[in-house]
Amino acid sequence: MFVAKNIQSDHKDLIHDVAYDFHGRRMATCSSDQTVKIWDLGEDGEWHLTANWKTHSGSVWRVTWAHPEFGQVIATCSFDRTAAVWEEMVGEKQHDGSLRTWLRRSSLVDSRTSVTDVKFAPKHLGLQLATCSQDGIVRIYEAPDVMNLNQWSLQNEISCKLSCSCVSWNTSRIHSPMIAVGSDDTNLSAGGKVQIYEYNDSTRKWNKVETIARIADPVYDLAFAPNLGGRNSHLLAIASKNLKIISIEPLRRDSTLSGQSGLTKFELKEVAEFNEHEQQVWRVSWNVTGTVLASSGDDSCVRLWKANYLGSWKCIAILTGDGSPQETDRPQFGQLQGNQSAGGDRSVGNAGVRNLPSGIMNLRRNTGWPSFNTKKDQSNVML
Amino acid sequence: MSSSCSKTMSCNTEGQVNSIAINRDSTLIVAAGRSVFKIFSVDEERFIERLNLRVGKNLNLSYSTLDIAWNHFEDNILASAATNGAVVIWDINRHQRNKQEFVFQEHKRTVNRVTFHEKEHNMLLSGSQDGSMKLFDIRKKEVGVEFCIGSTSVRDVQFCPCQLSYFTFASADESGNVLIWDMRRPDRVEKQFTAHNGPVFTIDWHPEDRTRLATAGRDKMIKVWDSAKCKLTHFIQTIASVSKIRWRPMREFYIASCSLLVDSSINVWDIRRPFIPFATFENHKDVTTSIVWKNDDPHILYSGSKDCFIYQHLFKDAKRPADLLVPAGLDISTQGIISHACTDKNEKTQTSSGRPFFKKNPGRSEKFLEATSYLMTFCHPEESLSMDWFVISAQRYLLTGRPLEDLLDHNANVAHELGRHQVAQTWEMLKTLYCTNLPSTVVTGHPNLHQQRTISVSSDKMDTTLVKEKSDKVGKGARHKSKADPEDKTLDVTSGGSDEEISDKEMNERNLSNIARGQINPPTDWDIYYGGGENSFLDFNSLADMENNKQPLTLPTEAFHPRHEIASQTRSLEHFQYVTESPASGNEGETSTGTGNTNPYASDKETSFPILTADPLALQFPEWNFKNIVIDMMKYHAREFDVQTSACMLIVLGNRIKSEIDHQVQENWLLSYIDLLGRFKLWSIANEVIKLSYPSPVSHLNQQSTTVHVTCNKCNRQLQRSGWSCDRCKSVINICSICHQPVKGLYVWCQGCSHGGHMDHIQDWLSLDPQCPAGCGHFCEYT
Repeated sequence: MFVAKNIQSDHKDLIHDVAYDFHGRRMATCSSDQTVKIWDLGEDGEWHLTANWKTHSGSVWRVTWAHPEFGQVIATCSFDRTAAVWEEMVGEKQHDGSLRTWLRRSSLVDSRTSVTDVKFAPKHLGLQLATCSQDGIVRIYEAPDVMNLNQWSLQNEISCKLSCSCVSWNTSRIHSPMIAVGSDDTNLSAGGKVQIYEYNDSTRKWNKVETIARIADPVYDLAFAPNLGGRNSHLLAIASKNLKIISIEPLRRDSTLSGQSGLTKFELKEVAEFNEHEQQVWRVSWNVTGTVLASSGDDSCVRLWKANYLGSWKCIAILTGDGSPQETDRPQFGQLQGNQSAGGDRSVGNAGVRNLPSGIMNLRRNTGWPSFNTKKDQSNVML
Repeated sequence: MSSSCSKTMSCNTEGQVNSIAINRDSTLIVAAGRSVFKIFSVDEERFIERLNLRVGKNLNLSYSTLDIAWNHFEDNILASAATNGAVVIWDINRHQRNKQEFVFQEHKRTVNRVTFHEKEHNMLLSGSQDGSMKLFDIRKKEVGVEFCIGSTSVRDVQFCPCQLSYFTFASADESGNVLIWDMRRPDRVEKQFTAHNGPVFTIDWHPEDRTRLATAGRDKMIKVWDSAKCKLTHFIQTIASVSKIRWRPMREFYIASCSLLVDSSINVWDIRRPFIPFATFENHKDVTTSIVWKNDDPHILYSGSKDCFIYQHLFKDAKRPADLLVPAGLDISTQGIISHACTDKNEKTQTSSGRPFFKKNPGRSEKFLEATSYLMTFCHPEESLSMDWFVISAQRYLLTGRPLEDLLDHNANVAHELGRHQVAQTWEMLKTLYCTNLPSTVVTGHPNLHQQRTISVSSDKMDTTLVKEKSDKVGKGARHKSKADPEDKTLDVTSGGSDEEISDKEMNERNLSNIARGQINPPTDWDIYYGGGENSFLDFNSLADMENNKQPLTLPTEAFHPRHEIASQTRSLEHFQYVTESPASGNEGETSTGTGNTNPYASDKETSFPILTADPLALQFPEWNFKNIVIDMMKYHAREFDVQTSACMLIVLGNRIKSEIDHQVQENWLLSYIDLLGRFKLWSIANEVIKLSYPSPVSHLNQQSTTVHVTCNKCNRQLQRSGWSCDRCKSVINICSICHQPVKGLYVWCQGCSHGGHMDHIQDWLSLDPQCPAGCGHFCEYT
C-alpha cells in the first residue's frame, strides 16, 4: 500500500529536524553532528545526497527552506547561539564533480543562548525570519533587499519570559501576521507554554494577544495549519506531553470601542487532544492543504490525524519506521505497517564533509522559481 | 563515598576569580584573582573563609594573580603567577600578616601558569608570556633550569603524572604548538606538533594514560592526542574559545572544559561522542575561569568564575543536555511524502545484554553513546495525503474557451473520474443553476409558458434521478454538506433533492408532478418555493394564489424587472447567437470584458448574468437569487481546504459571481491557488489562472518583470520611451532596409552586417537577390 524507505543518513549523531523544500523535491536534514545534509529526489525516486557540510560549531536544531523565489536558501539554528542563512550557488565544477556549493550568506549572532528554532515567514510577508532562543527572546529579522542575503536587519525583539523551543508563522494572507511561540520550560507553574503574538501594522510592534494557559507541560514543537482558503479560525498543532490541536478564532474587533490600540480578541478552542504517543510528542507537521496532521513521539511512530466531516479528529494511520512489530490492539491499521523495501537500504558513498572551495567563480543564483521581480530585472540590465 | 555527604554549594569571594587550587586532601581551596586572594575551608555545608592573603600596606602587582598552585606535599606552601612576571611563593603558616615568602622576578612578562611537580615538591615550573619556562627550586630560591621556545608566548605548562613519566612535561604556546620536554634536557624538545590554529590555552595529561594528552585553544576545539605518535585521536568542537580543560579522574573518556568568552557553563564531555556534553554545570553567571576536580573523586568539581563565586559542583546535580534533546524530525512534502527521523532504539537489545558489572550508572553513560537516528521516508501512506487529485484536476479542469455549460460539464466529469463526487456534484449544480434553461430558449424563440414548463420540469426530473443515483454514492459527503450549511438545502432541492430528508424530496416531486399536470401556475409557485424557501407545502395553493395576486404589485418594485421584459427577446437572441456562432471565444470575450474593472456594466447585475437574464423562464421569477447560495458553497469549499474548487469556480463563473464576493476573499483564493500550483511546478496553469483572474493584484502578477530593456544601436543609451526611437540621437532605429519604416514587431536582421527589416520584406528581397538590401554588399545569411 505504501513504501517505507530507509535512507542511510550517515549523520554521526541524532537528527533533530528534516525539512522539505517548497516543491517537495529536496530535503534537508540537520543533526547534532553540526552538519546539514541536502537530499535531492532523483528521477529514480530515490533521495540522493547532494550536499553535506558543517554548518555550526554546535548541535544544529532546526533547518528550514525559504520560498524558492528567493533562491535555494535554507536557514539553520544551533546550540552555538547563532542562526545562519545559506544559499546554494551553482559555480564551476568542484573537485568531486558537483556544480553546487552552499555558502553562508549571513550569521545572526544576536542571541546570547542557544537558538532553538528558525522559521521563514510566509512569502507574502517578504523575506523575513523568526528565531527564538533559550533565553526566551523571539527575534524577527528581515532582508530589506531580497537580492542581498548578506544583510538581515533585526526588526523586532520579543521577550517571552520563558525559554523558547519553537516558533511558527500563521500562513494566512488575509489576517495580520501572527506567530505562535512554544516554551520547553519544565516548570509546570510557570504559566501557559504557548504564546500567540500578532503584528500591529500601525505601531510596527508584535503584541502578545494570547497565552494558552491550559498547556502547562513543556512544548517541543508547534505548527499552524496552512490556511489557504482564508478560514477565519486558525488551527495550531502543539507537541507537548500530548498532542493538542487548538483552534484560534479572532472575534470581530469592535473598531469604534477599542480603536487602534485595541488588541484583537481571540476565542480559543481545544479541538482535539491525543495521548497515543506513549510519553512525549516531539514534532508535528501539516500537509500542504492543512487537512492531515502528522506527529512523531517517544514511541518512534508517526501518527497521522485527520478530521472527519463533523470536525472531530481521528487517527488514520500509524507508521512505524524501524520495522518493529505494530501494537496489536489496532488491527485496522495493520496493513499500514512499514514494509522495508529491499532496495530501500542504500548507502551513500560520498558522505564525507565537503570543504567549501576557497574561490568560486561564475556563481549564479540558482532558483527554480520564475521571478516576478521588476527590480531584479532592472538591476540585471544595469549591470 | 565522600560525595554522598556533600552538596552543591557556592561562596562569594568578592572579587573576580582567575584561578583556584585545592590542597592535597581537598580540605582547603584558594581563590585568587586580580583583586582577591582568599583561602576557604571546604565544609560539608559551605565554604568558610579562613585566610585573606591580600593584606598589607603595599599591595603591588605581585598580589594580582593569574594562576595559583598548591604544593602537593607541604600544605602551607602556595605559588602564584602574577601579571608583572613575578612568581610568588606563599607560606600560609608565616606569622607575619604578609604571607609572601619569596618573589621570583625572573620572568620579564606576565606569567601564565605555575605548577608544582607531583613528587619533587620543591620543583615549581612556570610558563610566561616572554616565551620561557623556568624550573624553580623553591627551597634554594633559585632558578634551576630554563627552557626557551623563542618569540612566542607560553600559555600552559603541565607535568605528566609522575607515575607515568617522571620527568616529562608539556608546554603549549600561542602559535598553536605543543611541545613535550624532559625536564632534565632544556636544550632539546622531545616532541613537537602543531595542535591548533591560533593559541593553545590549555593542556592536560590524562591521569591514567600517559600517551593521552588533551589540548584546547582559541579555535574552539578540544583535541585529544596520542602524545607518543603525535596523532590526533579525538576532537570536540565547542561553541567558544576554551580556557581550561581537566580530565575527569578515574574515568577514561571524560573531560571537563570551560570557555574563555561567551559561555559561562562548565561542560563535561565524553570524547567518544564529541557533539553533546555529557553533563553541564550552569551555575555561574559569568565565564568560568578555573576548574579543578577533587583529588581522586570524579563526583566533585570545584570552579571559580568572573562572577566572583566559587562553586563546589556535585556531578549528580549536573544538567544532562542529551536528555533534553528533541530526538525526532518530521515533515510532509508537497506531494505527501512523509520523512521521519527518529532515535534508533534497536540497540536496546544490546544494552540489556550488556555488562552488568559495569562500574557506575551503566544505563546513562551507555545510552549516551547510543545516539544515532534513522531516517525514513513514507510514500503515500494515506490516500488523504496524496495530492494527485489536485495535480490532475489542475491539469484537466477547463476554465475558459468553451460555453459555460460545457465547462461545467467537463469539470464535473473530471471530478467524477477522480472519485471526488461531492465536487463533481457541485459543478453539476452550477450547471443546473446557470445552464438548465438554455435549451428552452434555443427551442422557442417566443416564450411559450406551457412548453417551457414541461421542458424545465422534465430536465429537473432528469436531474432528480441523476442526482439520486449519485447521492447514494456520495452519501456522507452530501449529508455533511447540507448539515454544515443550511442554505445548501435549498440548493440541493433545486437540483432535484439530493437531500436525505425524504419528505422534502417527496414534496418536491409532488410539486413537480403538480406542475407537470398544469394544475398550478408554475412560475409563481416556483418562485415561492425557492425564493421564500419556506417549505410550507401544505398551504401551497393558497400561498400560490396570494402570490398570484401580489405578483403584479411586487414585480414593479424590482428595479430591473421592466427593463428585462423589454430586453428579453433581443437579449435571448443575442445570447443564442453568440453561443452558436462562436462557442469557443464566447466565454473568453465575456471574461475579458470583466477583466477591465472600468467596464461600466461590471457592477450591473443584469450584465453580470447574461444567461440568466436572457432566459425567459427566469423572467417569470426573478426573485430567486441563488448567488448567495453559490457563494456560500464556494466559501464552504475554501474553508474545507479545497481552495482549488473555489478558485476554479470563481474563474469559470467569472462575471456572474465576481461582483458578489468580497475582493479580498477572491484575491486570497486565487493567490492561494496560484501558490499551490507553484508548489507543483504547474507554471502554465498558474499563468492561465493569473490571466483569467480579475482582481487586479492577481492579474498583474504575470505583468511584472516582462519588460525587455533595449539600448539604441547607435549610441548605446537605454531606450526610455519606446523601442524604436532614441531620445538622445533623435533618430528612429531599427528601420527596415527596404521600406525605411520603423519595424514594430518582428525584426529580422543579418548578424553579418546587422541590416534587416520586416520579415516579409527581407524574405521577398532575398528571394531575388542574395546581397544585402541596404547596399552594403554583404551576402546576407539568415538561418
